[in-house]
Amino acid sequence: MEKNNRGDVSRRSFLRDGLFGGSLAGLGALGGLVFNKTKAANTVWQIDPYVCIACGNCATYCVLEESAVKCVHAFAMCGYCDLCSGFLEPEPRELDSGAENELCPAGAIQRRFVEDPYYEYTIDESLCNGCGKCVKGCNAFGNGSLFLQVRHDRCLNCNECSIAAACPSGAFKRVPADKPYILKEAKHE
Amino acid sequence: MNTERGDNSKSGKLADILYRAAIQTAVVSGIFLLIIVSLLLLNFYKGIIIEPRLEEQWEQLKTEVRNKPKDEELLSRVRELDLEMRTNRVRQDDSSRRGGYLLLGGLAVFLVSLKGSVQLRKKLPRPEKQVDVRGLQVRELIWGRRAATVVLIVLGSWLLIVAFLPALDFGRTIFVVALYPSMDEIARNWPRFRGPEGAGISAYNNVPTEWDGKTGKNILWKSKVPLPGHSSPVVWGDRVYVSGANEESQQIFCFDVFSGALLWDGSLVNPGAVSGEPLELNEDTAGYAAPTPVTDGRRVCTIFPTGDIGCFDFNGRLLWSRNFGLPDSIYGYASSLEMYQDMILIQYDQGYAEDEKSKVIALDFQTGRTVWETKRSVSSSWTSPIVVQIDNEFQYITCSNPFVIGYDPKSGEEIWRVECLGPDLAPSAIYANGLVFAIEPFTALYAIRTKVKGDFRVAEIVWMGEDGIPDITSPLSNGQLLLLLTTYGTLTCYDITDEASDKDRVNNQERIRPKLWEQELDMEFNASASLVGDKLYLLSTKGVMIIARAGRSYKEIGRCELGEECYASPAFADGRIYIRGVENLYCIGNKD
Amino acid sequence: MRQLRSIVILLVLPLIVTTDSFGAERFPPPDFESGHELPVTTVPSPRQSFYEYIDLGVLVAAIGVASYLALRRRSRRGLFVLTVFSLLYFGFWRKGCICPIGAIQNITMSIFDSSYAAPLFVLGFFLVPLVSTLFFGRTFCAAVCPLGAVQDLVLVRPVSVPGWLEKSLRLLAYVYLGAAVLFAATGSAFIICRYDPFVSIFRLSGNLSVLILAGCFLLAGMFIGRPYCRFLCPYGVILRQLSRISRFRVTITPDDCIHCRLCEDACPFGAIKKPTVEWPAKSYSKNKRLLGLLIVALPVFVLAGGWLGGSAKHIAAKVNWRVRLAERIYLEDRGQVEGTTDASDAFRATGEDVNELYSEAYAIRRKLGIGGWIVGGFLGLVAGLKLVGLSIRKNRVDYEADAGECLSCGRCFSYCPREHARLERMRQEAS
Repeated sequence: MEKNNRGDVSRRSFLRDGLFGGSLAGLGALGGLVFNKTKAANTVWQIDPYVCIACGNCATYCVLEESAVKCVHAFAMCGYCDLCSGFLEPEPRELDSGAENELCPAGAIQRRFVEDPYYEYTIDESLCNGCGKCVKGCNAFGNGSLFLQVRHDRCLNCNECSIAAACPSGAFKRVPADKPYILKEAKHE
Repeated sequence: MNTERGDNSKSGKLADILYRAAIQTAVVSGIFLLIIVSLLLLNFYKGIIIEPRLEEQWEQLKTEVRNKPKDEELLSRVRELDLEMRTNRVRQDDSSRRGGYLLLGGLAVFLVSLKGSVQLRKKLPRPEKQVDVRGLQVRELIWGRRAATVVLIVLGSWLLIVAFLPALDFGRTIFVVALYPSMDEIARNWPRFRGPEGAGISAYNNVPTEWDGKTGKNILWKSKVPLPGHSSPVVWGDRVYVSGANEESQQIFCFDVFSGALLWDGSLVNPGAVSGEPLELNEDTAGYAAPTPVTDGRRVCTIFPTGDIGCFDFNGRLLWSRNFGLPDSIYGYASSLEMYQDMILIQYDQGYAEDEKSKVIALDFQTGRTVWETKRSVSSSWTSPIVVQIDNEFQYITCSNPFVIGYDPKSGEEIWRVECLGPDLAPSAIYANGLVFAIEPFTALYAIRTKVKGDFRVAEIVWMGEDGIPDITSPLSNGQLLLLLTTYGTLTCYDITDEASDKDRVNNQERIRPKLWEQELDMEFNASASLVGDKLYLLSTKGVMIIARAGRSYKEIGRCELGEECYASPAFADGRIYIRGVENLYCIGNKD
Repeated sequence: MRQLRSIVILLVLPLIVTTDSFGAERFPPPDFESGHELPVTTVPSPRQSFYEYIDLGVLVAAIGVASYLALRRRSRRGLFVLTVFSLLYFGFWRKGCICPIGAIQNITMSIFDSSYAAPLFVLGFFLVPLVSTLFFGRTFCAAVCPLGAVQDLVLVRPVSVPGWLEKSLRLLAYVYLGAAVLFAATGSAFIICRYDPFVSIFRLSGNLSVLILAGCFLLAGMFIGRPYCRFLCPYGVILRQLSRISRFRVTITPDDCIHCRLCEDACPFGAIKKPTVEWPAKSYSKNKRLLGLLIVALPVFVLAGGWLGGSAKHIAAKVNWRVRLAERIYLEDRGQVEGTTDASDAFRATGEDVNELYSEAYAIRRKLGIGGWIVGGFLGLVAGLKLVGLSIRKNRVDYEADAGECLSCGRCFSYCPREHARLERMRQEAS
């Protein structure tokens, strides 16, 4: 009986060892297969501003309470107009920063007089909620210098970005972590 | 013994105290957790219920304050509401964040105390008496198999239902939806100013020859066009499109061909309205909506004298819009659009030739992106271009001051040019009997032939006519005869066949062809003539359509009165004529 | 003010005529007379990749410590402390992302999608726990996985799940794994990340339904030990198989089992298996017949599973946003649905050919069909093998921790008198 037992045991342990070796080899092969394709650097999520339609999902779909997507300003593209279509509602009552004239629901765009007739518009990120209303206005009647970007001091870099899954135009892309922004650039001659 | 019991009771008492403390902490923290959770839910629902109400109020107050800009009290109410909304949002965020941390802390305390209490009350393991182990193990396996089978059946039946759910079939083979219409399709519709190739020739002979605006005889419907304009209607399938504009708005209207109902209207923003500097076009000009739109059945594109061009799909969705800047055109830009395959072709002539501001532009019909653009040294003109097929090659032909230029519509490369025209050009070119006909107002009719010479195509004026030259309307030809209609009512007919050349008078290098006949019609005409079979349809500014035989002599068939002024050229479709009056769009067809 | 505005516009309009490319500025950026310098758009950088490798190092170290504590030191207390550390580090500090469970999807996508390449450390996160399990058993699950840590720390009053229920519910984990691999391979979605119940706790935020899901799992976890780990975790499916052939494994007793039965109710996760008894002859022969039937029926299971999996491709495809877009455009163009969505408007504005979209959607469906056949067949095989396993009498002599189920948590150690004896011996040796 003991002999049988030992025989059983040795057969089983042989099978076990075989499977063990096979699994180790299998994992190694899998690792090797994927290894060729891997990169050392991490990837992060970013919005392509030329594809983005400023639908407003960025403000609501982020897993964070305060969305990691904020509006940024490409100052070199801005026209510095006093009738800024990203700052002011269409047909404003007055060209000033009254609450009834501003497009931004959180009052995150600051308007500053530079010289006649130019005004500078900067975004206060602590107030911006990424709703994209200013982006829509700027793209429709202005230069399109306001656009949405994922801010990486806030973004958690989830494996699957909830906003990316909900983006209607597919503007979210994985970009390498050392080039984490897709900024708009000025195009005139 | 006594000491042992004493020790036991002391440690026992400690354990009891700790246990009770743990339970109490657990209960308290549990209640705390419930309170926090309900507060968070309350906070959340407050946001859901209160915020939309405030937003509604906000929208209302904003429109009110815009209507009454001087009302200080209203203004302060608006600003207060805005402050309230923003404060609410920030407070809600803060509350939920704080609530989250409190929840976490409370949960930690709750768990620690609960686990502690369980630990304190931990008893030594006391396994029960085993009864029928064998049967138990067998039963476990049986139940295990049954349960596993149930799970598999549940999963399997769910997948089975899913398998038989209907799915959208995009087609085993990808159906080829042409990106642009075929030549046949274009020929069967009226997609641009004066129809296919800008020839003014109807593909259908079954249109009425009698109608009356007053009695409504043969008038299928009449719909008001909300904005005025001199642009002609264009028709494709079951829709007819008309553009209209004034100093404030620019729109294109889509009517249903059967009922005349306004299906949709599309607007392009008038930059004048935005900047407060509207384009001023008085009566001497072509008006705010002179260029005729172009449609390929899938989309319709329209351009306005402000330089705004926009494209809508057949359901009225705006696909794209662009602005090329205000054209420098003294009568207001009026060139209609042409299309070729999937492109829109724009003749953008402005200013003087030496300013080099004029160009021809091709845009992608769907996206509005520039496909090609060619600059040209010509002055402003009010003609419309045509795309015609000459010797198996498509050419995009434009009349401008001073050149008639033919381009390759695919690339925008110039193929040929002829210098013959002058200023104030309004009549557009046509192609008939192998000749391109261009008109210099009040001066001459030019018959231009282009032919291939080696690697190039050259163009030359074969003959010219000097009688009855119009200044507004474009010529009409059936291939043998060509008709010109002046603004003051002179209808002149030329024989354009090669046989007629023996009647030409040769003067130096010029070959001048005499007219075949001439007829005074005692009416004013702005609309270009149209051809239905062998009948001419001439629409006067008073809205009277003169129908005459297109033959070697003038023979009038009838006159139909619409009862409204008409400046736009009519459009022809299967059994119908669409006439745009200054106020209404009429659909004329046999009412039986 | 109006005059200034009009002057600007009039000055600017002639410039517009010369610029005409689609993206050029309508209102050209000004040259400031006062020499005003334009501010620069800030670009705060993300966490450097270097730190992800530190996380990988912490993972390796933590697994090493867990294995040492579970197999060598046999210290439940040590494992508890490590569990708290893992919860704080991998859970609240790293917000539970990236984790080895989700890494399955990244690796799958790397293999099947040519446009995606997983970062190297993700490969590390995927492989390290697998290799360690191959050597030491499921020590990763014991004290390192943050999802396991949450469930472990929330467990207050374990209720034992009857064995038959446990075995059948475990099939759900295979379904989850199959679906996750299928959707990741076609680039449709990362469903493990999307339906992760515990990550919202780590982030302390999320939408209402996700938070409610987390609450439910926490509540369930207080009474049912580690519900996600046992019945749903897709990574656990792989770990289970590797653990069954692992080199070393946690044992209840440090040396011999004396069959005292004191550890029977020790495991809150139902991983302790009792010694088996001889079956009565009747059930033995009945089971032999059943076994034979099941083994013959295995191909039927595989084919049935494959067919069901393949035919679900139309519904599975809806998870992919390109397919949803194609279906929406299809319905809109045929007037079967009213209005448009942001997505269909955005698509039409790009001017892409609709037929290309349709063929893309068709290709995704086809891929899901093939993948569905494979995954379905695999699930059919698993189901058949499970039934086969439930018809075999396993020969067990001592009380053992089930090779695949044991999570190496070490709770059972204190139940074993041999353990107490060992501790006593160590104490005596020390003094």
